[in-house]
Amino acid sequence: MKGWIVLASMAAAWGAPVEFNRDVRPILSDKCFLCHGPDAKNKGIPLRLDVEAEARQRAIVAGDPDRSPLIRRVTADKPGLRMPPVHSGLKLTDREISTLRSWIAEGAVWEKHWSFLPPKRHTPPAPGHPIDAFVKARLDREGLGFSPEASRETVLRRAALDLTGLPPTPAELDAFLADRSPNAYEKAVDRLLASPRYGERMAIRWLDAARYADTNGYQFDGERYMWRWRDWVIESFNRNQPWDRFVIEQIAGDMLPNASRDQILATGFNRNHRGNTEDGLVPEEYAVEYVVDRVETTSAVFLGMTFGCARCHNHKYDPLTQKEFYQVFAYFNNIPENGRAMKYGNSPPLIPAPTADQQQRYDALNAQLGEVEAFLTSQEPAIAKAQQKWERSLAAAPPVWWTQPLGLDSAFPLDNLADLKAPAGSPAFAPGKLGQAARFDGAAYLEAAGAADFDIEDRFTLSAWVYADETPDGPVVTRMSDGPQGKGFGLHLDKGKVHVHVTSSYVTDALRMESEESLAAGRWYHLAWTYTGSRMAEGVRVYVDGRPAAMKTLAETLYRPLGNAGRRFKEPVRIGGGWGEKRRFRGMIDDARIWSRVLDAEEVAALAAGDALHSLAAIPEARRTPAQARQLRASFLEHAAPGRIRDAWTRATALRREREALERSFSTVMVMQESPVQKATHLLIRGAYDKPGERVEPGLPDFLPPLPAGAPNNRLGFAQWLIDPGNPLLARVTVNRFWQMYFGTGLVKTVEDFGLQGEWPSHPELLDWLATEFIRTGWDVKALHKLIVTSATYRQSSAATPGLIQRDPENRLLARGPRFRLPAEVLRDQALAMAGLLTEKLGGRSVMPYQPDGLWGELIMQDQEYVQSQGPDLYRRSLYTFWKRTVAPPMMVNFDAANREACVVRENRTNTPLQALNLMNDVTFVEAGRFLGQRMMREGGRTAESRLRHGFRIATGRTPRAAELDVLTGSLRYHLDYFSGREAQAEKFLAQGDSPADPALPRRELAAYAAVASLLLNLDETVTKE
Amino acid sequence: MDPTAEAKLLMTRRHFFGRASSGIGIAALGSLLGAEARADDALAGLPHHPPKAKRVIYLFQHGGPSQIDLFDHKPDLVRFRGQDLPESVRMGQRLTGMTAFQDNFPTAPSIFKFAPHGKSGMLLSELIPHTARIADDLCLIRSLHTEAINHDPAVTFFQTGFQLAGRPSIGSWIAYGLGSENKDLPAFVVMVSQGKGGSQALADRQWASGFLPSKFQGVKFRAAADPVLYLGDPPGYGRDARRRYLDDLGKLNEMKLAEMQDPEIATRIAQYEMAFRMQASVPELTDLSTEPDATFDLYGPDARTPGSYAANCILARRLAERGVRFIQLFHRGWDQHGNLPRDIRLQCEQTDQASAALVTDLKQRGLLDDTIIVWGGEFGRTVYSQGTLTEENYGRDHHPRCFAMWLAGGGMQGGLTYGATDDFSYNIVENPADVHDLHATILHQLGIDHTKLTYKFQGRHYRLTDVHGKVLRPLLSTAA
Repeated sequence: MKGWIVLASMAAAWGAPVEFNRDVRPILSDKCFLCHGPDAKNKGIPLRLDVEAEARQRAIVAGDPDRSPLIRRVTADKPGLRMPPVHSGLKLTDREISTLRSWIAEGAVWEKHWSFLPPKRHTPPAPGHPIDAFVKARLDREGLGFSPEASRETVLRRAALDLTGLPPTPAELDAFLADRSPNAYEKAVDRLLASPRYGERMAIRWLDAARYADTNGYQFDGERYMWRWRDWVIESFNRNQPWDRFVIEQIAGDMLPNASRDQILATGFNRNHRGNTEDGLVPEEYAVEYVVDRVETTSAVFLGMTFGCARCHNHKYDPLTQKEFYQVFAYFNNIPENGRAMKYGNSPPLIPAPTADQQQRYDALNAQLGEVEAFLTSQEPAIAKAQQKWERSLAAAPPVWWTQPLGLDSAFPLDNLADLKAPAGSPAFAPGKLGQAARFDGAAYLEAAGAADFDIEDRFTLSAWVYADETPDGPVVTRMSDGPQGKGFGLHLDKGKVHVHVTSSYVTDALRMESEESLAAGRWYHLAWTYTGSRMAEGVRVYVDGRPAAMKTLAETLYRPLGNAGRRFKEPVRIGGGWGEKRRFRGMIDDARIWSRVLDAEEVAALAAGDALHSLAAIPEARRTPAQARQLRASFLEHAAPGRIRDAWTRATALRREREALERSFSTVMVMQESPVQKATHLLIRGAYDKPGERVEPGLPDFLPPLPAGAPNNRLGFAQWLIDPGNPLLARVTVNRFWQMYFGTGLVKTVEDFGLQGEWPSHPELLDWLATEFIRTGWDVKALHKLIVTSATYRQSSAATPGLIQRDPENRLLARGPRFRLPAEVLRDQALAMAGLLTEKLGGRSVMPYQPDGLWGELIMQDQEYVQSQGPDLYRRSLYTFWKRTVAPPMMVNFDAANREACVVRENRTNTPLQALNLMNDVTFVEAGRFLGQRMMREGGRTAESRLRHGFRIATGRTPRAAELDVLTGSLRYHLDYFSGREAQAEKFLAQGDSPADPALPRRELAAYAAVASLLLNLDETVTKE
Repeated sequence: MDPTAEAKLLMTRRHFFGRASSGIGIAALGSLLGAEARADDALAGLPHHPPKAKRVIYLFQHGGPSQIDLFDHKPDLVRFRGQDLPESVRMGQRLTGMTAFQDNFPTAPSIFKFAPHGKSGMLLSELIPHTARIADDLCLIRSLHTEAINHDPAVTFFQTGFQLAGRPSIGSWIAYGLGSENKDLPAFVVMVSQGKGGSQALADRQWASGFLPSKFQGVKFRAAADPVLYLGDPPGYGRDARRRYLDDLGKLNEMKLAEMQDPEIATRIAQYEMAFRMQASVPELTDLSTEPDATFDLYGPDARTPGSYAANCILARRLAERGVRFIQLFHRGWDQHGNLPRDIRLQCEQTDQASAALVTDLKQRGLLDDTIIVWGGEFGRTVYSQGTLTEENYGRDHHPRCFAMWLAGGGMQGGLTYGATDDFSYNIVENPADVHDLHATILHQLGIDHTKLTYKFQGRHYRLTDVHGKVLRPLLSTAA
């Protein structure tokens, strides 16, 4: 193993003094703490080696290794005495034992774990760029030096791919090469940082960390809508939101004073976890899983800690107790959510999240409406006068009832059968509340097709007048399967109580509520039920005689739509029926109405007044209720007002309708919300949801600093604690993750674990300097990026020598520039960019680019189909690709994208044959190759050579060398020959993909260029950040 | 990953590409491109002990087959027909949300007849006559239990040893530990077929590599024009052109390698070559037209339909012949909450003959001795009826507390029936075996000590069996 860089035991190699944190603790942690660590007590083991006092007392004699029980036991000859024991499967190497010896011999100095101490700002060891000073100091110690600076083309391409995820265009390259000013590179970096593509590039990795996806995961994996949160992330990066704000808003934006909609929306971060909708699940079990996921994600992303390990027992390595885990858990547990997620769509709590465009339209509509309303107000004297005249005329006219027309879905006056069906015989019609009413005998009922076509997420209002001779009982207005406990929704009476329900499955999947009070027999009541589509009890209002009724919730588990599994829900509306033949309504029903919107209390009150216009008009103006006045006014404006006024009214109505439709089109986003009363959190024994132990309050682990002064002990306080400059982890963990993006490996390689099992930093002083600098600049993210990419360290050539590869295969010492295969998203995006196909549009709903047929169908259950996008949406950047958790986009999977099941912060790169097949044969790349070939022919001049040069430059950012050009020329010649006389084959080859080939170009030649362009897209250099 | 494991992986890769004293030169590359297929990318130290088996074919019956109707004969149950499951048996254990609200739990004996089969007299249901004929090759476990009660966590548990997604699947662990025996094919191949019962969703992550490098993930073979995604060259582009294309690509990449000395470039060149070989080897492999009629007679009429379970069983044999390490078939459709008698018949018609044929076929070819076949689902089903119980119809809900699976070949004891349940097939009364035990046993037969195959991630040494698992020694063949 000679020559490998093994950072943990570097000390021995240097002959330098042993450092506890760097050299010793990793050995103890990895080989001893499993038993002699924080969880020792629970295992009945008396000795802890993670506690200094205990170790000194019982295992270590400072200065004397031979008398230290620790050394004796790890070197014992007898297998029964030797540590670690055989059954543990752990073994100490000779070098590790000698490190322990040296440490004890040198006095056994103990230190607190480095990452739990605040970063120390060391003065850079040399003038110049601080990053270079720190890196060079380390290289000097190793007897190595920097590599020369990479060519200008290479550096620009590297920076462009890192900062925007797209390669520089030939024009950008030319401009950069032509700019001879000393700050040319800095200007180029500023341009890249200012590009909207920058935010998209940065968002990619954040989406991995935040386990963002477009579906719920688990088994059914229905669609959800979190893209508004994704767009918020992109915008935050683009406007260079300071990192501390970025963090606090995502953790607790909803709890900030006067939280804006964007700040609430940001908390979607902790709702991106999966949601289980399986039919038979136990909701309490998954409610726990969601909170655990929040704790695991939050600790990994912001603290670089694996808190999740302490869910079932004390952490084996880090000083985190199980109780402390549940104290942190309590911060994220106080959200009104159900363990069973909604089968389709978002699960509460959620908020409407209009896009900027939608908001603009909404504001414009409101402004227009305001104008019209102001006009009507200005006409008040004229209106009042005209209305009085009209009111007088009503006395002579036949009675008319007015109801709100806005959003009216259907109206059933029930004066006669009209076009209703009466499958069990017609009810009688008798004088009712408004004209005639239908009298039901317990057998008859009425049916209307095509009305109330609502599902569980739609808003609606149902209303009717009812009269019963005996205890009011039976269905009033329903749309449900006609049997007891049927599927659908309905307004019923149940032994006098008003009963409303939306039911997918009576017991397990329904929203059912009933009134506290009972209705009496022998009088008319007006009933109205409004439902916001929230699927929750809070979305339901029931009014009796225009007054809100107190309601009791019987079931609140609705999650499956009525039109489930691709089947339409076909039931008609029934009046007086909808619970089967044994339970039909007895009594009278009059004037049933259905709206596709939620009527407000005043509107319902007006309905319930139930007066014909002439009788309203007969009431002296001063004695009319507001509802009565409003009804008369609306009716007058609608039917009898003079021209200009009536037009204004009509326009106001149209605007309101438009606004209503717009509101309905807003996507929602799932967000965090605090329950008004703190939910009790218990320690869960062995992590099991059904084994609560002692009750715990929100709190932080002891080994980290306490809450900052004045911070509340809740989620907001937790967020304030995260961003407090006294927190030793946030800045370090963040700069380290960005470092990983640039150099392929973090300064701490275990980007997700800064705990005791994490790796010692390759450049500890640099890490701390960057962390303190990040805080010093006000958490300025763009400044941090600029600092890194302008360093000489970053700009080195990535060419290596065999010796250097042997010495430092992972380039941890940074004696050369970074060189590694581009991430999945960037590979596809750059191919589209090189082809000239990329659609540069920021944000919006996720899209479905090319994907082999049938991938979803093979695995999923029902009614989910991959419907390929059309036109420009085929060529959006990859972070907009629809991410279905159970069947992730195959190219992303092939190229090691994070799985989006749970938080992933470590980048992972493999090199496989499936990747080769993907880049050669996936229609995405075949089509991109064709378009790149087309560009070579159109833009690359007249000769084959100039065209090949052009293509090569688009792909790699540089001009080909003669030998390279020879190979490309040979390839082009070969393909020209190959397609010669094979017109049909060339046609087929050119027909791949939705965008047609330029008909002006000769087919054989285009096919040959397309083939060579595909080769260019597959070059190692093209797929590599060099 | 700890530095030593990492070094091992790097060494492995190096080894794979021919050892070079000073990095990887062009000369070494030349020899690598012509290298013969051989198995030498196992982790150092593996196998831990002499293996009995080299590979696994895992026939995953997705949805939860009913042990009561297939393997766990309860003749006395007829007496309790329609009666509520005694509380003394249920003991308040949790139920799924689907039957938790049921007013009663009527006992539903199987309507299918059982009979002893083979010299061992193994009791098997009339639903699986072909399987019955190979009874003496089967090692039947009737006492498995699991922690999960819903499909997704239960499948995830079987696949990864943990209920929540994110850990490597068993096939990935084995590919990571033992590597491949065939350089032209992946070490871990997955095929999914569709049943006729209630189909529950499955997810690609069930064969993902979790935190192991993604090259160890299962590669899905599909019954499509491209059996492996993106395998086929674009229409109009022929093999000769592709060969030339790769030659030119190789030349350019070699120039790059000479300039940069980055071993990843050498790997990339090799992977493009392997891709080229896969373009030939996979279609040859999946082309069943060369199989004689006798094969189709053996596996049943369905075997002529691409993508069917039976066709996939033939493919499994062909993959085994070519040295693929872990072959996993998923057959969906065992989730019979209602209409169980009708649906389980259909399901058995699609799987019984081919499953048995695979055992017979491997045996004929001398491959059964070093191939472990595993047949089973993610949990069992309840003795009580979900929904209404009638003379000829009933349904069964998920039951994690006991269920049955069988193993064959690979040094497992044939004709053995292991473990027993109570009179209601509700609780285990003898030799309980859990999912970790099954994993430990499979690994053991492959020469792997399940406690030693580990991977360090997030500071912890993870293993397939977590901190559990024991080898089920009574299942192992006593024959030398």
